[in-house]
Amino acid sequence: MASFNTVSEENQLTNFMQRIEAGEKIEADDWMPEDYRQTLIKLISMHGMSEIMGALPEKEWVPKAPSLYRKLGIMAKVQDEMGHGQLLLRVTEDLLKPYDKNRADLMQDLFNGDLKFHNVFHMETKTWADAGIIGWLVDGAAIITQTDMLKASYGPYARALQRICAEEVFHAQHGESIIMALAEGTEQQKAMIQEALNRWWEPLLMFFGPASKETTGSSKQDLTIKYKIRTKTNEEFRQIFFDKYIPRIISLGLTIPDSTLRYDKDSNLWSYQQPDWNEFKKIIKNQGQRSEARLNLRRHSYEYNSWVRDALSATIS
Amino acid sequence: MNNEKTFYHEYEIFSKRTPSSAFQHQFSLLAPNEEMALIMAQENFMRREPVADIWIVNRKHIKRMNAEEKMTLGRLENKEYRTTKGYGYLKKKWRQYEQEMLDEKEILSWGGERK
Amino acid sequence: MSDSVMSPEYTEAVKNLLFQLADDDFMYSFRGSEWLGLAPHIEADIAYSSISQDTMGHAAMYYTLLENLGAGKADDLAHFRPASERRNSILTERVNGSGYYLETPHYDWAYAVTRSYFYTQAKKVKIDSLCESSYKPLAEIAVKVRMELYYHRLHWETWFKQLMSSTDVAKKKMNEAIALVLADFGDVFSYGQQKVAIESNGLIGSEEALKQKWEMSIEPLMTSLQMQMPKIPDQLVKNGRNGEHTKDLEEGLTTLSEVYKFDSAAAW
Repeated sequence: MASFNTVSEENQLTNFMQRIEAGEKIEADDWMPEDYRQTLIKLISMHGMSEIMGALPEKEWVPKAPSLYRKLGIMAKVQDEMGHGQLLLRVTEDLLKPYDKNRADLMQDLFNGDLKFHNVFHMETKTWADAGIIGWLVDGAAIITQTDMLKASYGPYARALQRICAEEVFHAQHGESIIMALAEGTEQQKAMIQEALNRWWEPLLMFFGPASKETTGSSKQDLTIKYKIRTKTNEEFRQIFFDKYIPRIISLGLTIPDSTLRYDKDSNLWSYQQPDWNEFKKIIKNQGQRSEARLNLRRHSYEYNSWVRDALSATIS
Repeated sequence: MNNEKTFYHEYEIFSKRTPSSAFQHQFSLLAPNEEMALIMAQENFMRREPVADIWIVNRKHIKRMNAEEKMTLGRLENKEYRTTKGYGYLKKKWRQYEQEMLDEKEILSWGGERK
Repeated sequence: MSDSVMSPEYTEAVKNLLFQLADDDFMYSFRGSEWLGLAPHIEADIAYSSISQDTMGHAAMYYTLLENLGAGKADDLAHFRPASERRNSILTERVNGSGYYLETPHYDWAYAVTRSYFYTQAKKVKIDSLCESSYKPLAEIAVKVRMELYYHRLHWETWFKQLMSSTDVAKKKMNEAIALVLADFGDVFSYGQQKVAIESNGLIGSEEALKQKWEMSIEPLMTSLQMQMPKIPDQLVKNGRNGEHTKDLEEGLTTLSEVYKFDSAAAW
């Protein structure tokens, strides 16, 4: 019987697409087209680094958290974010095998700006309510995209997402718990959430990315949908976010800082004011509010303690 | 990477939930050596579940199958001679003798109390 | 000793010891949490976080016991008391590295490992003694804490041992860290002005006995690493058990109480 070496590249691609269309999973050792591998590497490495970098704004609230229980809750949540980053970087690292790159290279790519982290983690966190909004709405947005990708065609990513989504349930409830206490609290506490929501509303809209290439000049959604890594477009995700969260936000007595926001029953679509996509363009160039500061913090610690990795590289096992 | 003298080695992590469970594969992590891998394993992958034991295996010690070798795992579905499916006709036969069929449920119950 | 037959003098001694234990673990955990997202290896960051969480959980158990004894609400005790009322060893309040006030401070992993290892060994010695405490509720907590200490101890001992047997650069940094840690170690086993009350009521072993146990517990590792035995200083610059603290604690407490002070009567 013929070994795979004699099958033409075109045949391989056809077989590959058939497998994907049939809902089969692609594994790390399987043949895959180059752009499938590249698309996965870009997506998953960015997802992984976003978790790692996202830990930095959140961890600031551990010391400041106003009770022992809240301090513990945030420590556990931040630990999970680092854990998710670890799982995703491992998936990426296995995809990088043909290029002989490893985690050290990924860290360098992060520091020199080649590897980006999610726009939402470039924002400043000003008050305790920000910690609540992040756990409630930012994680909520992440859950929407991540649950869609539970069916991703790439097996290792789908399996990592199963672990991740299981922990996201705790994150969602932790965030809600913080917000609930504020929403049922003093006038000052209620004002704190509204003020935080006013600042986070546009970043939340931008979380899902632009509806089309025209908005910002590029979009990854076409390839990721073609290869069944995800099933929905950026705009579809955003609409689901509105479905799930606008009723809850309003039920707590909060006001969405967009007076044009409206649900149309006939089209089953929410209409809303577009965020300033120029801000988005700046952020994806690492020019957001806290982009440089956070990268510096991470880079500095990594380099300052590089002697640790050098020291333990000296042992062979 | 290229040589042994590097910080990033890949380790596969296995664990048992309870002393009498079988080992299950969890995930992989990077560590400079086995001892380090061991002190990081539980908190990385089993934070929220009970753990009775952990195995650490360096990936390089795992024999893997390539695509061609996986072809050897194929098999025809024509082996009823070695499953209960191939002997289902006995049920009717035993009825004629006013006896019940010794099926899987019955036989696996024999370890219990005498009825 | 059960609560109903406790004399006021005994109760005071119990509370004072509890404040020392609670404040130690609370500050140690706070400094540990500052490393989140910044450890030299991602998997290590994740493991370290569990230790910080466990330790804050221990502090919470002590603060809750203090609450049960009428000392005040646990969260108030953790967040509201000024530096002069804190009873932690100054070792646990020290910053993680220089330039703390900068946006990118220099958190030193050698210091993190050494402080953690020496502190955890000391905690183990105390906890073993507390498991026999005359005050039953405290003995019960100690039994729980002891269970989690197995991991903490193995974790830090492994880091300490591996760094100390690696490169010359690592050994130098570790030795510098040891000097810094020992300089602040003098009050770790001290009971301060409460020494007589605490020791005479059978709450925990004596300062001297526990110091010796600590030295004995570290000795095998030091010998195998061909290192000098660390010497706990006799003279104390400051005794945290008597409320004598450094600027590091003031700065830490400002951050720790920031949101809580916004409205301590509110529910968070």
